[in-house]
Amino acid sequence: MSTISHKEVRRPGQVARRRRTALTGWMFLSPAMVVFLTFVAGPFVYAFGLALYDWDLLTPAEFIGLNNFVELFQDPELPRVLLNTFVFAFASIVTHLVFGLLLALGVDQLISRSLSYFVRVSIFFPFLVSWAAVSLLWKYVLDPSFGYFAYYLGLIGIETPNFFSDPAWALPAIIFIDLWRTLGFTFIILLAGLQTVPRELLEAARTDGANAWQTLWNVTIPMMSPILFFATIITFIGAFQIFDPIQIITKGGPNNSTTTMVMYLYEKGFQAFDMGYASAVAILVFIIIMGVTLLQFWGRRKWVHEA
Amino acid sequence: MTQPGKSDSQHAADDLLTRVESRRRDHTGRRGKIAINLVLGAVGVFMISPLVWMISQSLSETEDAFSIPPRWIPYPVTFENIVAVFDYMPFGQQFLNSLMLAVGVTVGSLFFSTLAAYAFSRISFRGSRPMFVVMLSALMVPPQLLIIPIFIMMRQLHLVDTLWALLLPALINVFQIFFLTQYFNSIPREMDEAATLDGAGHPFILFKMLVPLAGPALSALAILSFEASWNNYFAPLIFLSSPENMTLPLGLVVLQNGFGQAPASVVFAAITLVVLPVLAVFVAFQRQFVASIATTGLKG
Repeated sequence: MSTISHKEVRRPGQVARRRRTALTGWMFLSPAMVVFLTFVAGPFVYAFGLALYDWDLLTPAEFIGLNNFVELFQDPELPRVLLNTFVFAFASIVTHLVFGLLLALGVDQLISRSLSYFVRVSIFFPFLVSWAAVSLLWKYVLDPSFGYFAYYLGLIGIETPNFFSDPAWALPAIIFIDLWRTLGFTFIILLAGLQTVPRELLEAARTDGANAWQTLWNVTIPMMSPILFFATIITFIGAFQIFDPIQIITKGGPNNSTTTMVMYLYEKGFQAFDMGYASAVAILVFIIIMGVTLLQFWGRRKWVHEA
Repeated sequence: MTQPGKSDSQHAADDLLTRVESRRRDHTGRRGKIAINLVLGAVGVFMISPLVWMISQSLSETEDAFSIPPRWIPYPVTFENIVAVFDYMPFGQQFLNSLMLAVGVTVGSLFFSTLAAYAFSRISFRGSRPMFVVMLSALMVPPQLLIIPIFIMMRQLHLVDTLWALLLPALINVFQIFFLTQYFNSIPREMDEAATLDGAGHPFILFKMLVPLAGPALSALAILSFEASWNNYFAPLIFLSSPENMTLPLGLVVLQNGFGQAPASVVFAAITLVVLPVLAVFVAFQRQFVASIATTGLKG
């Protein structure tokens, strides 16, 4: 792609050298590229083709055009599934950012090093535990007869529902467990972001007589807006694909109250083996994630403070 | 101690856990400070309570486990549940599967990503820019979209129910390529130009000069990759069906709701056995863990 300027003189051997450079470049690139084409680009294109077929893996595939999409948009379960997923994603973004920021601000104020260390480690560590272990563990923690959650809340007079068999409480319970496991990620990112807020700005705000709330609202949050923006996008993308705790704890129940998009995709593709329909669901997931992410980037100009 | 190729943000991130500079503001009153200490202490206790409870139940005798009021310190302590784990599930084999897979994925993907990032950063050739953009846009594709075609592919290759079905697709990690390319770009080019004049070839420049300088980036990516593979549940659930081929997260779930159901205290002992090594590794490498999240986050 390099253009030869008119001053440059073509020397014999230059073309050959450039060709050798290109060959070297592709050689370095080829291992990653072969895997990329086989397991990313290829499957990506294939998924769009697959969505045009009716195929259960056993009988021959049948071309049905856009019927899978027509069926999907008329699917009586789809509104519920979409609602569950968006509720989960929205609740996830709000709780992660609010609690993550509050905890980061609080930890930043702690004077005792050992307390600060204990708090930071205990918030961060759950993020390293696999979803499988977390789901099994919390299933018992929240159990009304075995778990300690119901016991301690009972002591202070709060009666707990049977979280995972009550359609009104199952999704909030999953939101809560997700917050427990992944808050550490948001917290660490925001804590790191907080260290980048210039100290002089905070000092200046204080000298000018701003109180803690004004400083937070007018200095800290605007200065941290790029990192808050990043955290919002990452949380949304992750939350929209929530699957593990739902498949392990509720299987989407009770009454589909916890069926999310990826759970639905799994049911259609790997339990009903309706490959075309599952691909259509997956494409919808892809379009929504891409759409919301682009929308967030578009809105970025309005509220993100660029340093 | 300034290491070359290490930015200020990474220095800040390295220390997030081990040494936090106290930036208390004087206008928070004494009462406010006590309140913050109490609230954060309570949050900390709440966050680790499930893990303490888990360890306690797994070391309790069957009749004591899950008793109400809850026991936080097991007495008498028994290792029966831990031993029983090995009767109920092929724990050793699954541990080995998880370990081999995570090491294979981490080493393989980082090797491929390093080579690709070198090509993108240091060799200018026709097609490199478009290829970079194509790979980058794949960051937006959710893995669930790809897994159906990959499943069909693996079925035709007769690789379903083998670790190959999990290893091969994980050898490409677009985020690693992007991150390393950015990192290599931040290392001055004059250095390798000088080396080229001295007759050094591409492999020398990459492995003897750039890779050592990119140590912090590589270790951050290695930690993230290992952790993602070790904890992965979705792909193993789809590809693996025989217990002896499973990885630990899937093995745990099968142990809990599979045939010949294990008692809850044995399930808890199994979870403890899975979580404790993670805790041990975390305690040993905590700075790197936190830095890996903070730096990749800050750069993204």
